[in-house]
Amino acid sequence: MLSPILRKDLRIELRSRFGVSAVVMFLLVTVTTILFSAPGEQINTGLMSALFWISLFFGALTGLARSFISEEERGTSFLLRLYAEPEDVFWGKYLFNLLLVFSLAICAVIFFAFFFRDFAIRDFGMFVLQLILGAIGTSSIVTILSALVARASQKGALLPVLALPVMVPLVIASTDATRIAMETANSWEGMRGDILILFSFDVAVTLVGYVLFHLIWQE
Amino acid sequence: MKFFRSTPYHLLIGALFAVSVFICFATPIGGSFDDVVTLKMNNVANITPVKATIMATGYDSVSKKFYQAKDLYGTERRILVDRSQNLNIGDVIVADCNYIASDSYFDVSRIERINPVMTLPLIQGLGELGRNILFHVPMSFVAFIAFLLATIYSIIFLRTKKMDYDYRARAASAIGLLFTILATVTGSIWARFSWGTFWNWDPRETSIFILLLIYVAYFLLRSLLEEGEEKKARIAAVYNIIAFVTVPFLMFVLPRITQSLHPGSSGTEAPVINLSGKTHTDPILSYILWTNVVLFTLLFLWMTNLFTIVLRKENEE
Repeated sequence: MLSPILRKDLRIELRSRFGVSAVVMFLLVTVTTILFSAPGEQINTGLMSALFWISLFFGALTGLARSFISEEERGTSFLLRLYAEPEDVFWGKYLFNLLLVFSLAICAVIFFAFFFRDFAIRDFGMFVLQLILGAIGTSSIVTILSALVARASQKGALLPVLALPVMVPLVIASTDATRIAMETANSWEGMRGDILILFSFDVAVTLVGYVLFHLIWQE
Repeated sequence: MKFFRSTPYHLLIGALFAVSVFICFATPIGGSFDDVVTLKMNNVANITPVKATIMATGYDSVSKKFYQAKDLYGTERRILVDRSQNLNIGDVIVADCNYIASDSYFDVSRIERINPVMTLPLIQGLGELGRNILFHVPMSFVAFIAFLLATIYSIIFLRTKKMDYDYRARAASAIGLLFTILATVTGSIWARFSWGTFWNWDPRETSIFILLLIYVAYFLLRSLLEEGEEKKARIAAVYNIIAFVTVPFLMFVLPRITQSLHPGSSGTEAPVINLSGKTHTDPILSYILWTNVVLFTLLFLWMTNLFTIVLRKENEE
């Protein structure tokens, strides 16, 4: 049975398609900006994976931030507090954000594969694995932090400032893992450390977010 | 001001600190004969301080005198010393030596200390700058301890809801920010002289920079929240705990698995703290180092305590 909060968010999303379309447009604009600013450049694997993850992280920060801020703006957060348990709200928002990050990641892979000659993945299985782990980490950090900034002024600027330092282990490990997946066909050996960091980071952040969520959610 | 008059902590910590800083600067640095030769061959320095024990007196001349001397690795070499220096067999000297390759002896231009209480080891290429390890490393330690303490106070605050623990967490973060900046600045100055640039995004430099960003974000979040004091403190405490989750990754995992110039990176063992539990540091150096770690921690705790008192007074009025 799907979480009711997730169903609610999905229904709102399907009605307006605001979140997905904004994020897809964001990615498209980013990719074309890279193409315009570096036309015909030979981009090496290190830079390629960095560009890929930069677009993905900033896309996630712009798209996912809305989950709690929109509740606050519509004034529906009080109703949510009344009708739902904090745990359900957290997992609902978390799953919705996870779906959004996954769709974002799929879009990013399609765009990058379509527009960049140099975006060639040698080890697709490991690439997908680290992409999933990176997406889980991003989603859990952005979920808890967007709940945190929902009541602050300057929300739009504050979320990246709060999230990016916390996401740095994720950024470093996932860019490194993507680079390795682009360079070698059998990348488990080189990627093991990164996968371990990503996995432990995901578990730690998700658990901490789950445990602490009710403290920022309650009035 | 009443606090300053009523407690002698500041005198105690100040006195210990003065003694420690004196020891850090007054202890002479001495290397081995091999260091002198290596540094001269690589055109780093002609004259290098050496710690050696006089084994025997040798050939005399009108103004100079040869001695047989043994350095800390047990290598015996001839050194040429001015006659005005009175050296006995068994004396330990720290002397500036220049290697004269043609006659294979070491010319002593200046004797820095005879029978020093203790000496620090020479770090090749750093020389006197090696003393920085006694300040840079403890400051980085305190930066971590401060973060840990702020997180512990945040957890206690979330459990007890007593505003006092929020003041403590805030004070620990503020003083921790100060120590993080100090660690960054001393590290950056060191990097300028040993690696060539003030900043080159080495993994260690990146991680301390991210730590700075997290502290700054913590205070930014506090200032931008439009809530009551209690809720504000609660949200800030939650951010503090989430941020602390990344600290072990930044400070202990990433710098150890990536290539770096900093000691303790991938492929090398960290000189002070590592998994094998051995220190690769000279015993006297590590003794002074750990004393400084304790002193800097005491200083940090005392400053945090003062700042907490200030915050408490501010909020009572």
